[in-house]
Amino acid sequence: MTTDALKSPLAAAPRLRRKAAEGTALNSAAGHLVMVLLSIVCLFPVYWMVATSLRPPNTLFETSLWPSQMSLDNYRYALESIPIVRMLINTLIVSVVTTAIQLFTGLLAAYAFARWRFPFDKLVYTGVALTWLVPFQVVMIPNYLLIAQMGLLDNITALILPNFASALAILLLAQAMRSFPKEVIEAARMDGARSWRVLWEVMTPNLRGTIASLAILIFISTWNEYFWPLLLSRTAENSVIQIGIQMFMTAEGNQWGPLMAASTLASLPVLVIYVVLQRQVIQSFMKSGIR
Amino acid sequence: MADLALPPRGLAAPRKRSGVWRISPWFYLVPAILTLVVWIYWPLVDAFRLSFYQWNMLPTSPQIFVGWENYQRIFALPKFWQALRNTGVYVLGLLPLAVLVPLALAIYTHDLPARSRNIYRAIIFVPMIIAPVVAAAVWRWLLDPGYGMVNQLIGWFGAEPVRFLSDPNIAIWTIIAITGWKLIGFSTLILSAANANINPALIEAARMDGASKWEIIRDIRLPLLSSSVLFLVMMTILLGAQWSFSYINVLTGGGPLGATTNIYYLLWDFGFSTMSVGWGSASAVILFLGFGALAFVLFRLIDRYSFHDN
Repeated sequence: MTTDALKSPLAAAPRLRRKAAEGTALNSAAGHLVMVLLSIVCLFPVYWMVATSLRPPNTLFETSLWPSQMSLDNYRYALESIPIVRMLINTLIVSVVTTAIQLFTGLLAAYAFARWRFPFDKLVYTGVALTWLVPFQVVMIPNYLLIAQMGLLDNITALILPNFASALAILLLAQAMRSFPKEVIEAARMDGARSWRVLWEVMTPNLRGTIASLAILIFISTWNEYFWPLLLSRTAENSVIQIGIQMFMTAEGNQWGPLMAASTLASLPVLVIYVVLQRQVIQSFMKSGIR
Repeated sequence: MADLALPPRGLAAPRKRSGVWRISPWFYLVPAILTLVVWIYWPLVDAFRLSFYQWNMLPTSPQIFVGWENYQRIFALPKFWQALRNTGVYVLGLLPLAVLVPLALAIYTHDLPARSRNIYRAIIFVPMIIAPVVAAAVWRWLLDPGYGMVNQLIGWFGAEPVRFLSDPNIAIWTIIAITGWKLIGFSTLILSAANANINPALIEAARMDGASKWEIIRDIRLPLLSSSVLFLVMMTILLGAQWSFSYINVLTGGGPLGATTNIYYLLWDFGFSTMSVGWGSASAVILFLGFGALAFVLFRLIDRYSFHDN
């Protein structure tokens, strides 16, 4: 599902709309109201997480929108009780490595599909696309057993292994390569470039946009991944941050302050990426659908 | 979701020059194929095999062949039917939040000036990038019966606090609402983009012909949005119950009394709480076949009924 319309939603419209504009002031006020309400619903929980995390423990249950006093006590407590920094580093390693490898295997496979016609090519392409439809819960037991056999339980390598390749990366890159001008490839080939060099020196630099948006998407999804780490983690030192958050929610009760502090720390990298690259992040999510 | 169709041969005309040309594509495909086979296709086969065995996942204990017994047991289990019913509730409950409300919002707000639209867009997208576990933690805090902000708010109106996550009749709707919260901005953006894509000349022409606002929506906008709407409906039906998994796991553990357990959570429960590989695998096979059939039907329907304007 590609929705490139994002860039120019209203570009063509104002000319035609002017006539109608007079009667719609009231209407548009109502429109603003609806969107402001929706914005509050969407943003308030995130705000409340940060606000709670900054309240000193003795004023945690205050309901004032802005914390009357601020302190980093919750953060201090969270950092002391579980190895959060270690977990953040683990998550970062897993996310960066997964992103790099998935892009690499994706580029290779997409190039094969885009450049050559070979026996069973359609079958293989469909086979790749169909993996998208296999729910992870269906294959989790055999995957878990395989990891156990490899002796990689409680090892962050195991978090990366099954994500060496993804249908998403392969399909998106294959689509992007399809629209690549043939003349450039032909010219490169005339110059005697082998297919390997054509891929890395001609194709890849020209697909920067797609690669960047795919990288954002893979990074954020891997960072937020919960299910697979949950299966494999045994010790806090070898877990990712999403598992760490859970450690403040126990059957006996929740440590709300540290829980919100850990959640804020876990969200910070993604939120920073979002603030800096907002438009690109939205576009990359919308280009690829959900999941 | 990217197209399932193979892109037309774009780059180079196929040339049979030597054997090298035949091996090359496979050389490039090996890493991807290997990964997908090892971690998806082979496990599928293995899950199928294990579904006929009884085994508790310990390498030392034997795998006992039991034939169809696992399947029979599962179908006889009230828990299974409850989970199946709940899965339906999840999907039906999510449809308004993931499709209908966003559709109304997209149509209703498309007249807003571009600048404020961009701001709204940036804000309502935030839940989508927040990690499911973080979302679960924050909502758990907001919905806490004692000190949660939502119940404080309810209290100001003089009502009793609601046990959002521990009341068997309410819990599933709470989980659905949280899942919807995560998706609503995304769906709205998808539909807004599609709506903005509609040629304004079409709307203007209809207006000149004296069509009312509602007629324009009904006869022009909705048909032209139908393929995006169908896409979102399909995603919700296929993946809706799956999106809820993290919230169920973190917030209710499938309870109270199995009220929030859907089929995905049941699978997890069989496999890793009760350590019964046979049951877990058998329900995985059932799920996969059901899921596959559903996906097949939906893709056919979309092919048939989506409406293209150009």
